[in-house]
Amino acid sequence: MEQILFGIGITAMAGALATVAGAAEDTESDIGSQGDPNSQVQLAPQMGYIHRIFNKAVAGEPPAYGLWVALGAGIAWAFMAMQINAILAIVIGSALAVFVQGVYATTAYLGRTASLAKFGQPVYIDIIKSVTTVTMAHAFVAIFTTVAMCHLMNAALGHPFPLPLLGLVWGIALGAAGSATGNPFYGKERQYQEQKFGAGVPISASGNIVRYAEAGQRSSIDNGWFTTKLGGPASGVCFGLIVFFELWRTVVFEELNVWAPIIVGVVIILVFMVIDRYIEVWARKNFGPYTTETEEAAA
Amino acid sequence: MTVKVEVGAGGIPHNQILIYGLVGSLVLIYLTYLNVIFDTTVFSFLGGLGAVAALVWGTDTIKHLCSYGLGTGVPSAGMIALGSGVVAMLLATTTGILAPIVALIVSAIVGAIAGFLANKVVRMDIPVMIMSLTELAIVGALTLLGFAVMVGGTFDFLGLAVGTTTFLGFTVESYAASVIGGSIVAVLFMLGAIAIQHSFNACLGPGEQQDRTLMLAAECGFLSMIVISVMSFAFIGFIPAVISLVVSVAGWYYTYAKYIELSKRDAYAWLDAKPILEPKGGA
Amino acid sequence: MSALGGPAQTGGVQQPTAIGIVGGLVLIIIALAIAFFVVQMAGLIALIGIIIGGVLVAFGVHFVPVGGAPAAMGQAPGIATGVAMLAAGAGLAGLFGGAWAAEFGLAVALAGGAVGGGLMMAITCLMVNVTYIFGMGIPAASGKVDKDPITGDTFPAYKSQGTEGHGLPFISYVGGVIGGTLGGLGGTLIYLMLLGVYEEVLPVTLNASVEEIAPVAVSLAGIFAVGMFLVNAVLAAYNITGTIEGPHDPKFKRFPRAVIAAAVASAVTGIVAIMLVGVL
Repeated sequence: MEQILFGIGITAMAGALATVAGAAEDTESDIGSQGDPNSQVQLAPQMGYIHRIFNKAVAGEPPAYGLWVALGAGIAWAFMAMQINAILAIVIGSALAVFVQGVYATTAYLGRTASLAKFGQPVYIDIIKSVTTVTMAHAFVAIFTTVAMCHLMNAALGHPFPLPLLGLVWGIALGAAGSATGNPFYGKERQYQEQKFGAGVPISASGNIVRYAEAGQRSSIDNGWFTTKLGGPASGVCFGLIVFFELWRTVVFEELNVWAPIIVGVVIILVFMVIDRYIEVWARKNFGPYTTETEEAAA
Repeated sequence: MTVKVEVGAGGIPHNQILIYGLVGSLVLIYLTYLNVIFDTTVFSFLGGLGAVAALVWGTDTIKHLCSYGLGTGVPSAGMIALGSGVVAMLLATTTGILAPIVALIVSAIVGAIAGFLANKVVRMDIPVMIMSLTELAIVGALTLLGFAVMVGGTFDFLGLAVGTTTFLGFTVESYAASVIGGSIVAVLFMLGAIAIQHSFNACLGPGEQQDRTLMLAAECGFLSMIVISVMSFAFIGFIPAVISLVVSVAGWYYTYAKYIELSKRDAYAWLDAKPILEPKGGA
Repeated sequence: MSALGGPAQTGGVQQPTAIGIVGGLVLIIIALAIAFFVVQMAGLIALIGIIIGGVLVAFGVHFVPVGGAPAAMGQAPGIATGVAMLAAGAGLAGLFGGAWAAEFGLAVALAGGAVGGGLMMAITCLMVNVTYIFGMGIPAASGKVDKDPITGDTFPAYKSQGTEGHGLPFISYVGGVIGGTLGGLGGTLIYLMLLGVYEEVLPVTLNASVEEIAPVAVSLAGIFAVGMFLVNAVLAAYNITGTIEGPHDPKFKRFPRAVIAAAVASAVTGIVAIMLVGVL
């Protein structure tokens, strides 16, 4: 019983850390315009829309976070192997991983922007100075919490994978969850704020991203300010739920029967499926069709 | 609306880079055998330099492959390169002094088969596919081997799989505290996978210039070396690790400064705290 | 990052060439022979397991609804990220669960891996729809079919102007869960097969107990599983040229090509991983 209680505590802690990680990850990638919305930042100057948005084309979020988290975990592992306190080791590991992230961010902006010279997009060097540090700060939060979560799984819950391999696995999962949930909110709602709400961006509007703010010119830091309202927390909930249920079903039900965690997992999947169907129908009913069925048939 | 992958023309021919990269990285990785001859680990940093040479070559290969358009991102090419490379590299470590050569041969076979499958079964029908995936698998294997030597001081399987840990003041041999047993290879894998694709991914566009892209490739390699040298403190002696760190920081600083200079050369304008320059005639 | 132009979309499915199929079969047979030669029956069974695992991964990738860059603008249905890496995220989350349950035997571990991958995709797909519906006010609509094969919902009227559809219709949601399940199952199968071989052979060659070499066996099997997973997932991503809506998408019919390619690729990488213990 005590074992299970301890396990539940660790599970809750890991879930909380994962939630923070997901939120920070999405905010970081939105400030840097990483992932799929990056294509529009890249496209805009070619369509004649010169902008002052950061262009952090390091890689998609899953491989990039696979590296940052695995690197943080690897360095932390090495320091722990040298008998250094775990928390200190994780902080040092995350800090060095963030250094690598920051350098990659600057080279990506310089490279992509310099290659757009033909379209008259200048390099705004002040963007690197002001925005890189903000993305680094968010990345530190995401990396530190994920590495700490992996350390809990390895040291407290006894997962057989060593810390760096756990970092690789959960880093890729973090990037996948964060980019899946957060990208549309940044890509549609922020980059194309002037387009109609409640509809997709027409393909003809591609590249016409919002470049001016309420006063002055839009900075990428404003994008983080916007996406922390919904995209960030949603990504955090997504990754937090994944980690929490993955651990919870094993920690709590494994004592009962070795098959119990699997049955519970299937039940959870079915519950989420029902919720998804419910909100899908809810949206169809409340938002209604864009055109009536008869018109569609006539056209 | 998709962004077309465009690359700049001209520069050093690819075959020349291939030969320099291949020979350079093999020679540098072999030079780390001096560690065994002199019973030391001070030559470990040469492995990292070998990896840098391989990465520069791999970047040029990725540029050739991706200019055909793969239908999915540039990073996928880095993933398949390192995915095939890591199996070949781990097998090669078991062959002792032959390791770099075996890594080269096995990865070439795996890469060629992957390219054959991509063209003949998946029907990508890209002319350079087989050659490119062969080259990329070799680059992946040599990069990982070089990084592994740098962190562990040797390319021998037992040397990488057995570490030492201090327990109550005694030094005991432990499988858990080793480069392979601690899954440090997973970190090296990701470092290589991002470094190999980043430079082309970051520099693609109509204004892409080969010297800038390749300088960035070297910068990514040296940057990876910095963190690898930090991790190597756990495996090789203090002095050798410091030497690795100094070499990689110096190399990184030089290439980073050079890369910024080249970006300044190629950029439309280099502005500090200036407003958006609307193109003439308005958007 | 899938905003890059792909090869020309030709009508119909180009069948694999004869040389591709024959060459693939020959390679698989050679690999099986080497496996039998190096580690006898255990090696043969392990390699067959690895091939099945690789095939499951490649097949599973075809179910995962991925829209790439246009999905981030609500211009196309699916999840807004790269297909290989999303599948990797789900498959590796499954591998985490499967590796944890490895001590309870093959069946439990495989089921654990499958459920882990499915759970990851079930939650991710739900949150995608939550963002679309409650964050952006956009209902789900498929661009490739007019009617959801499962629920019978009609889509043309729910597609906003100038787009190819958006969000995840229920068929895509189910496809995502199936894809995650197959990915988790395949990844775990590759891992368990390699772990079995290493735990059997490494103690003899290194002259140590199973417990002592456990970290090396787990790490080797884990890294090989990740590497093979990525090779198979990228080959499958090349097969569908980046984006797919799910099992109802016409591109789904291309899966036999990826299955053949994955079987051969897994056989070749698998035999290299098994030979490691033979050379030692």
